[in-house]
Amino acid sequence: MSDALSTIVREAAPWSPQGEAAEALTRLGLPTRRNEAWKYSDLRAALADGALLDGVALADGHVRALEPDAARFDDQRNIIGLLAVAMNANIEDTWAVGSATRGAGGTVSEVETRGKAVIIERLNAEGRVGAHMLKARVREGAELTRVVLQNGDGVALSAAEVAVEAGGVFRQFVVAEGAKLARIETHVIVEGERGEVTLNGAYLAGAGRHADITSTIEHKAPGGVTRQLTKGVARKGGRGVFQGKIVVERAAQKTDARQHHQGLLLEDGAEIFAKPELMIHADDVQCAHGNTAGGLDERALFYMRSRGIPEAEARALLIEAFLTETIPAELPEALREEVTGLIRSWLAGARS
Amino acid sequence: MFDVKDLHVTVGGAEIIKGLTLSVPAGETHAIMGPNGSGKSTLAYSLSGRDGYEVTQGSATLAGVDLLSLEPEARAATGLFLSFQYPVEIPGLSAIAFLKAALNAQRKARGQEPMPAPALLKLLRTKAEALKIDQEMLKRPLNVGFSGGEKKRFEALQLAVLEPKFAILDETDSGLDIDALKIVAASVNAARAPDRGLLVITHYQRLLDYIKPDRVHILAKGRIVTSGGPELALELERDGYDKYLRAA
Repeated sequence: MSDALSTIVREAAPWSPQGEAAEALTRLGLPTRRNEAWKYSDLRAALADGALLDGVALADGHVRALEPDAARFDDQRNIIGLLAVAMNANIEDTWAVGSATRGAGGTVSEVETRGKAVIIERLNAEGRVGAHMLKARVREGAELTRVVLQNGDGVALSAAEVAVEAGGVFRQFVVAEGAKLARIETHVIVEGERGEVTLNGAYLAGAGRHADITSTIEHKAPGGVTRQLTKGVARKGGRGVFQGKIVVERAAQKTDARQHHQGLLLEDGAEIFAKPELMIHADDVQCAHGNTAGGLDERALFYMRSRGIPEAEARALLIEAFLTETIPAELPEALREEVTGLIRSWLAGARS
Repeated sequence: MFDVKDLHVTVGGAEIIKGLTLSVPAGETHAIMGPNGSGKSTLAYSLSGRDGYEVTQGSATLAGVDLLSLEPEARAATGLFLSFQYPVEIPGLSAIAFLKAALNAQRKARGQEPMPAPALLKLLRTKAEALKIDQEMLKRPLNVGFSGGEKKRFEALQLAVLEPKFAILDETDSGLDIDALKIVAASVNAARAPDRGLLVITHYQRLLDYIKPDRVHILAKGRIVTSGGPELALELERDGYDKYLRAA
């Protein structure tokens, strides 16, 4: 084997959480596009190049015991978590507030919020492989805002498992510029009554880049609210993926869930794949979802040009307006400006 | 100032404008009236350079500049403005941001510096107030969720802010109740100036009670069939378009 996985498995110390995760990875194998959850993102092909791990330290990991959750080792759904552990994961101490860079290699972090917290993760695999896992718990009445900004080359993988207790608020915003393969997975469980989830995201897939935003939101208690808005653009040779599943369990009456995805194909040869799913097992709920993909609105473009705005600028303004609609209103002003700046510089690059 | 000669326009292979000639001198306001399907909107779109409106013959100049060879944005920078019959919604882009981009793009094309933000905001506020446009609406995405009347007021606001040499107003009265119509008409009248021409396109005479034209032209089947003074509009209101359609 000359792929990245064989290197990870070989380097993992036996009788350690890394070894256990490596063993599970060997048994399960990396997912291919035959695996439903990875239908649009071929992880096995992306990791076929063993050189992706050059310079990534895999030995001598410091890992505290993972939670005894046998299921996580038996399911390809947790493949990013397994990779994060196998690649020398540190379980970090709780980091309630602040910003972290997630580069090549693996990390596992935990966060628990009792008040209000904002966390920012900057994901950049730096041309190699990075797999990062976050476990978060939003305590009763608490509020957690998570922002994930992904750019750079290589294979960048992120998975978050978030539990929301009664009256808790979890708000997330992802900007993914894609990489050889970039996947940002979020799994939210609304455990308590009246839990609120905002899960927004934007992907900007340039030529040769693959950006995948995947999520599941499970409502297990009554009165919960979900607002999910994902938008993305793809250029020629770029691929954007949105997979979003919302499950409303029988006990979760009065759930109000809305999911919307809009993709914009900027050129011929751009690809956008979307799989929105709504599974409702309760009868007294309000749920809606929508999904569209298309080109820029030619009428809007002409309208702007007729006011004197040159075509390239009009396109950039329309795309910026399209994408910035996903930025949650509650995001701190400085972050909003940073995100708008990222979108603008991407557009400036895309124009040339 | 604004001269159209023997204009022929095809849309989807069908000829809609069939040899239209029109001249609007600086300082004058002309009206084009015509029944549905006479080519009113096609004329407006082809003069602004919309894709799909192919000029196969003829010329159109503004202050001596050949418009037909220019992109839509260059026509605007030259001083042409089209008030849309159906203004387009731009989700995510505020009216302020839109007008700032438009005004500064036109200034740039004319070799001028961008307008400083405080001056721009002051200009917008003053012009919006005259049109009874709420300041808060300037921050909302342009035309999104606006009523028909509000959209037309924003068209009038753009006209007031961009100060073109020549403006074409396509069915500006549609969607307006009488109060809104008076406000919009007052704004258009305020835009009348010795160095500016206006072309008002309308189906009904009603608008011309408020915006008094110097000349009225009747468009039927892609040609101007009759021209005259303001009394022509009243005659049309009384007798209808039938006799012109038969003559065309």
